[in-house]
Amino acid sequence: MPAEHIIKSYDEELARLNKMVVEMGGLAESQLADAIEAVVKRDSALAARVVEGDAPVDQLERDLDNLAIRLLALRQPMARDLREIFVALKIASDLERICDYAANVAKRSIALSQAPPVQLVHALPRMAQFALVLVKDVIDAYVEHDADKAIAVWTRDEELDEMYSSLFREFLTYMMEDPRNIGACTHLLFMAKNIERIGDHATNIAENLYYLVHGTPLTQARPKGDKSSLEVIAPSRAGTR
Amino acid sequence: MTPPLARPLVSAPHSSEGTNDDGAPPRQARSPISAPAIAPLVQFPPAAEEEATTAIKVDIRNIKFFYGKVQALHGISLPLHDRRVTAFIGPSGCGKSTLLRILNRIYELYPGQTATGEVYLDGANILTPGLDVNRLRAKIGMVFQKPTPFPMSIYDNVAFGIGLYEKLPKSELDDRVESAVRRAALWDEVKDKLRDSGLSLSGGQQQRLCIARAIAVEPEVLLLDEPASALDPISTQRIEELIAELKTDYCIAIVTHNMQQAARSSDYTAFLYLGELVEFDETERIFTHPRERRTEDYITGRFG
Repeated sequence: MPAEHIIKSYDEELARLNKMVVEMGGLAESQLADAIEAVVKRDSALAARVVEGDAPVDQLERDLDNLAIRLLALRQPMARDLREIFVALKIASDLERICDYAANVAKRSIALSQAPPVQLVHALPRMAQFALVLVKDVIDAYVEHDADKAIAVWTRDEELDEMYSSLFREFLTYMMEDPRNIGACTHLLFMAKNIERIGDHATNIAENLYYLVHGTPLTQARPKGDKSSLEVIAPSRAGTR
Repeated sequence: MTPPLARPLVSAPHSSEGTNDDGAPPRQARSPISAPAIAPLVQFPPAAEEEATTAIKVDIRNIKFFYGKVQALHGISLPLHDRRVTAFIGPSGCGKSTLLRILNRIYELYPGQTATGEVYLDGANILTPGLDVNRLRAKIGMVFQKPTPFPMSIYDNVAFGIGLYEKLPKSELDDRVESAVRRAALWDEVKDKLRDSGLSLSGGQQQRLCIARAIAVEPEVLLLDEPASALDPISTQRIEELIAELKTDYCIAIVTHNMQQAARSSDYTAFLYLGELVEFDETERIFTHPRERRTEDYITGRFG
């Protein structure tokens, strides 16, 4: 961290803003971890807690917004201070989205748990765990203001995309094999998509962190591994199998 | 800053002469042959106003300044671009006002103050001994922190400077005074009381009167030494708006302690510290991500 401001309360407010982002990050991590556990253990009570846990995150984001607006209006920040506040706002909204997705995964897990257990559920947690690592790492990077760590997360998201692509194909196959799988697989597909989106928000955070540290945007094109949007679904071929 | 247009957007679609074989932009928007000339939907200002950078009007080279034996400036070099505003920022005593005072050689009025180095105004060194200082000051006008109207009428305040340099017939003088007061955005407020004393005006009006006096002699460069520091926010904004207006014609240098003011009203910013130029760059760069740690610490309020 750079030298202290002449006005001490300014430092205190910036530190508070920082703390709020980290707190939101912590919530995003635990919400996602709990959502995964709820899926794996078919624990509807835990899933319900995750769904309920979304409201405090939203509240925290509103508080953070207020503090940031206050800082912008009263301190008229420049340079690094300005980036610090601007980036805190952006990261907070990414974290809020991550929590939304985690809550949605939890919600779908409740529906999933009411159906008989399907073996294909196991493919999902592996992907979710990987997304959780990305979220964890990018929050660590934020805590340390470490742009290199951020870039590492940013690059690794490609793997998550690839995992999603292969899950997509897998679920498609299950559905073609047995129409009774369609209900569960549709939920699983949405869950996988949500988790893939979580990875994208982690990379957003990484990009913002890079900007915060260097003052210039990360302009390179990010490697992308999700090709599922190009997938052609051909049921007739499946029928001949 | 808008990039200069690479080629005119107004092409002549119905004319085969619209583009040259070598791909060069057509020189004429309307070809004499093309039948119905199509009026462009959007009129673009002449290229001169689209320039990203303008010519260097004042080139400051290796300026050192001494108050007796005390050295206040340690070799400052920077350009002032024409029709652009350059802000000098830095803590008190960093030498920014001193630098401004060199540009019209006001320092020479005080014994024991010496400057070395060169200041080129359109290529000619204005620190050359024997130069006509009065003519220089007609070219480089200055406005100070505290409004300094003369104890005479509003009209005479503005006409006074003109009278020093040229003898104009009354009607021309009237026109010149009016246009200067108008340009200083003061006309509507004083047009009915030009014979009142300049001292009867409010602080903000007095400052605009001083700006009118400075531009009445038609200078090329305008030096503003904290022109708004003693004014209320409304008057300050009037002055800033005025600066934005005036920069279409003048090269302007402004010293200010108000960081936001520098950020708002200048195109280039120079940060001085302890008589040295720490950083000079486009204002946007200085206030978003300066290269120098000392600049960053200063503008973010971290200077110990």
